[in-house]
Amino acid sequence: MTSDPTRQTLDALGIRSEAAVLALFADMRARFEQDAVSKTDLDEVAWTTLRNAWLGRASGIIAGITENWLKPAPPDLKRVVGKALNELKARVEGALEELRVRMEAAAERRAAASGKTDLSLPGVPRVLGAKHPIRQTFEELEKIFLSIGFTVAEGPEIETPYYNFEALNIPEHHPARDTMDTFYLDLPATAGGPPGAPGLLLRTHTSPVQARTMEKQQPPVRIVVPGKVYRRDNPDATHSFMFHQMECLAVDTDITFCDFKGTVDYFVKEFFGPKVKTRLRPSYFPFTEPSAEVDATCHICDGKGCRVCKFSGWIEMFGAGMVDPAVYGFANYDAKKYSGFAFGVGVDRFAFLKYGIDDLQLFFQNDVRFLRQFR
Amino acid sequence: MKILYNWLKEFVDAGTIPAKDLASRLSFAGVAIDAVEQTLAGELLDAEITTNRPDLLGHYGVAREVAAILRARSSVTSGTSSGTTSGTTLKPVEPKLHEAAEKAESAIQVEIACPELCGRYTARVLRGVKVGPSPEWLRQRLAAIGQTSINNVVDATNYVMFELGHALHAFDLDAIAEHTLVIRRAQAGEKLRTLDGVERALRPDMCVIADARRAVGIGGVMGGADSEITSATRNILLECAWFDPISIRRTSKALNLRTEASTRFERRADPEMAELASRRCAELIQQLGGGEVAAGVVDLYPGRAAISPGATSSIELTRRELLRIMGADVPDGEIESILRALGFAPARTDANRGSRDSLVAAWKCARPSWREDVKREIDLVEEVARHYGFDKFPARLPAATQPAARMPHAAAQDALLERLLALGYEEIITIPLVDEKLDAQFRAAGLSPARIANPLAEDAGVLRTSGAVNMLRTLEWNLNRGQRNLRLFEIGRAYSVRGTEPREQRILTLGLTGQVREKNIYEPARPAALEDLKGDLEALGELFGGFDMHPAEAGWLQAARAARIVRPGASLGRDASGDAGADGGGDVGIAGQLARRLAEEFKLRQDVYLAELALEPLYDAFAAKRAAIHYQPLPRFPAVERDFSLLLDDGVTFGRVAEIVRGLAIAEVEGVHAVDLFRGGQIPAGKYSLLLRVTFQSRQTTLTEAQVSDFSARIVSALTAKVGAALRSA
Ligand SMILES: [Zn+2]
Repeated sequence: MTSDPTRQTLDALGIRSEAAVLALFADMRARFEQDAVSKTDLDEVAWTTLRNAWLGRASGIIAGITENWLKPAPPDLKRVVGKALNELKARVEGALEELRVRMEAAAERRAAASGKTDLSLPGVPRVLGAKHPIRQTFEELEKIFLSIGFTVAEGPEIETPYYNFEALNIPEHHPARDTMDTFYLDLPATAGGPPGAPGLLLRTHTSPVQARTMEKQQPPVRIVVPGKVYRRDNPDATHSFMFHQMECLAVDTDITFCDFKGTVDYFVKEFFGPKVKTRLRPSYFPFTEPSAEVDATCHICDGKGCRVCKFSGWIEMFGAGMVDPAVYGFANYDAKKYSGFAFGVGVDRFAFLKYGIDDLQLFFQNDVRFLRQFR
Repeated sequence: MKILYNWLKEFVDAGTIPAKDLASRLSFAGVAIDAVEQTLAGELLDAEITTNRPDLLGHYGVAREVAAILRARSSVTSGTSSGTTSGTTLKPVEPKLHEAAEKAESAIQVEIACPELCGRYTARVLRGVKVGPSPEWLRQRLAAIGQTSINNVVDATNYVMFELGHALHAFDLDAIAEHTLVIRRAQAGEKLRTLDGVERALRPDMCVIADARRAVGIGGVMGGADSEITSATRNILLECAWFDPISIRRTSKALNLRTEASTRFERRADPEMAELASRRCAELIQQLGGGEVAAGVVDLYPGRAAISPGATSSIELTRRELLRIMGADVPDGEIESILRALGFAPARTDANRGSRDSLVAAWKCARPSWREDVKREIDLVEEVARHYGFDKFPARLPAATQPAARMPHAAAQDALLERLLALGYEEIITIPLVDEKLDAQFRAAGLSPARIANPLAEDAGVLRTSGAVNMLRTLEWNLNRGQRNLRLFEIGRAYSVRGTEPREQRILTLGLTGQVREKNIYEPARPAALEDLKGDLEALGELFGGFDMHPAEAGWLQAARAARIVRPGASLGRDASGDAGADGGGDVGIAGQLARRLAEEFKLRQDVYLAELALEPLYDAFAAKRAAIHYQPLPRFPAVERDFSLLLDDGVTFGRVAEIVRGLAIAEVEGVHAVDLFRGGQIPAGKYSLLLRVTFQSRQTTLTEAQVSDFSARIVSALTAKVGAALRSA
């Protein structure tokens, strides 16, 4: 470029009128349009060159105009030069941005056409942990009961016969003890322990925490008790030395069988889904009266009958009932004043039903191929 | 208990109700019917009888329940019974005997020497009975309910047991020495060969039926072989008695001998039924085998006052209590017809007798001898409710009266779980019954294990004192199934005893083996190392105020690859390099690489890293750690980093180096990090090179080059002076 007008002042260029200024800017604009239009399919280097030529901080054309035209402009032309410069600058910036967007889109199209990006390839693998399905089931149950005002309590797994049996109205020689084969500890008999405690055992249910809680606290009582329980059964698909229960107990001045039914129905629906219906069949447990077995419509077949429900449409859920007044006697509660309900949910069984599991041993083998299915 | 529908119909008119429908109605009244089958003797209902209802261990008792189900639904009766029942009622059992002139008491002498074990004993005598096979109908019925036919006399005793629910026994009268029976305690060392051919050693807490010479039967459990009914038997002694339930239960357990008879007596048979069942059985024997029945019965009933409720015994049922327990009402007519059908003979006793469904209504009820389980008002409430129908009571949620709370440690445990999952650990749950010898290898000194007195398997004979055995077994299980890269955790308990005092502690066990990163397109594989476990522990420790690691000695971990995990004293959130745990007080766990010897024992052919932490102290620390978090304003001035390439003697630890740097108490020292470490090459033997990066940060100003140089010089000179560090030229 032999004589770049932007290196000279307006005065040196002989421009003294407004019209001449505008004509000069029109020339510059035409020059830019030519530069830009000729570069419809830019690569990054060409675009950077163009941008530097016009917008470069020190040697760009816009910088030259500012330095040589605007700053030394006579006062009567300053306004028109400034306005024209702003317009030119806006046009240049806008056009360059447009060109950049077009250039990048074209680059992306070329990359896509090349087939080098394979989105079906896995990403960088991340190692993830998972909660055991039994814990997930416990957490779900706990959440449901917390939402209706039940506090979580725990107790020891090594228990006295008093809390495991006597305080639950299961005296020695009661036939109900036959149905709960018990592991006993090999220990000398405890001296000075609670009444009727000739040694220790592994609790056969989470119900002892009922007795322990009532002993410490007058009504109202509303607790759920999650935990491990033990039975001396040979292991198979439905038996294990250890499994899990969640006991539920509510005692207050005005708790009735209707409240019991409502609570059972609410929590079974929350767990298995709103379509599930419940029903109660009279049964017998030493620590409840009236006692009931709770059935629910099969959540697999919606009660139409399938393999899971043995084609009956109903599944046996757990045992339950109103707390037997004899139990209040052990807790020093006034049985004439208080009433309540209790039930013990088989947590492994609930997980069975929810996930279609058919072998209890799977829970305790902890094969990671099994555990990872519950992520 | 198997129930034949045809047999039931002999006692109650069930009309044309299909067996399946009746089964369902029984189930919803409390007699659970598991299945209905077709047999040669007709439809069979398979009932699961709860232990409180021995009266249902016979068809007659079940028929009573059916009568209550099919009771007259009196829609018009008021409080006082009008007697307009149109429903079904239970038919009475009224045996008819052809009695001979000979009197029973002249044919047999009976004495009860232990009335505390035998509350009632009846004996009947039949002569000239023709023992032979039973007729077809009887054999079919017995076969249908799973009983083997033996001969007509034995079959008759069994039949009556399944009919009336009371066990009987027939002796060959001529095998009874001196025709004399003594019901007494067995003598020490006494033996008896029972009907099943087994010789039984008896104990003095057992009740035996003896003749003048020896025991001829174990009362309420099984008769003796020597006096059994054979084809040669002509004269029969028919026993129908009542034995103490606890004694029968003990005897049956001690002899490991459960029979239909013992099942009934141990659940408490009806003492009043003994004489009727005997009469009914004599009638049946006479019908099947002819012969003559001696007149009358020898009936010793020393327990009458103690074991029979008697006519004076009654229970009151009030509507108030029914409403308090059930929460919804049952009409008078239903209450009365249910209780009447079940034999409770209700009678209104309140002042408002004429008023129907009165809120103050009260009924006086008799206690039938066959319902020992009904003694209290609540028992009557249940009787009414189950027959009225549980489905008729509306469901509602109780009003909340107090806030609900999770366990005190729930928040800490949630945080711990969340972090373990983020670190890629998978949760396992194991059965904490383990092999005692294996457990002992991981046991901390001074712990006594809780042993199981009656284990079912040798490898489950003790409650674990640590989670290690379960964790290693789980790793082994997975490795054997081709799962080689494992990070597992278990939150459980460890158990021990101190004297007779059991102890249960919450523990966390970690197991790590294989590759922490498998080879993939972008990265090479990286095998797990002790440092991975340490990094994981540090990430966990952050939740609880930090963990320090000190060298540990533990037989189950490799020497020099074992660490005590110590929680720095109470100085949470501050400089944590002190020796707070030097006395072991702050120990919360142990971690390291499994000893080779144990790896071999568990058949683990790759390096295994284990850690175990006591959770209670950590849960306690969690809240303090959270409370100690206070916002620090973000620095407004840039931080400056300086790297020091140090040559150090082996044995000078990074911990010591960092301690020296921090010990200079330069307030601007923000971080001390090990960035690189190597041995070999140009590094002389016995030394190593450590690239130490110190970050300086001022809260007041931008640090000048001169300040940083001064700090650096102080650091280098301190390291040189205290541990002989040499600065390598970069
Ligand atoms: Zn189904």
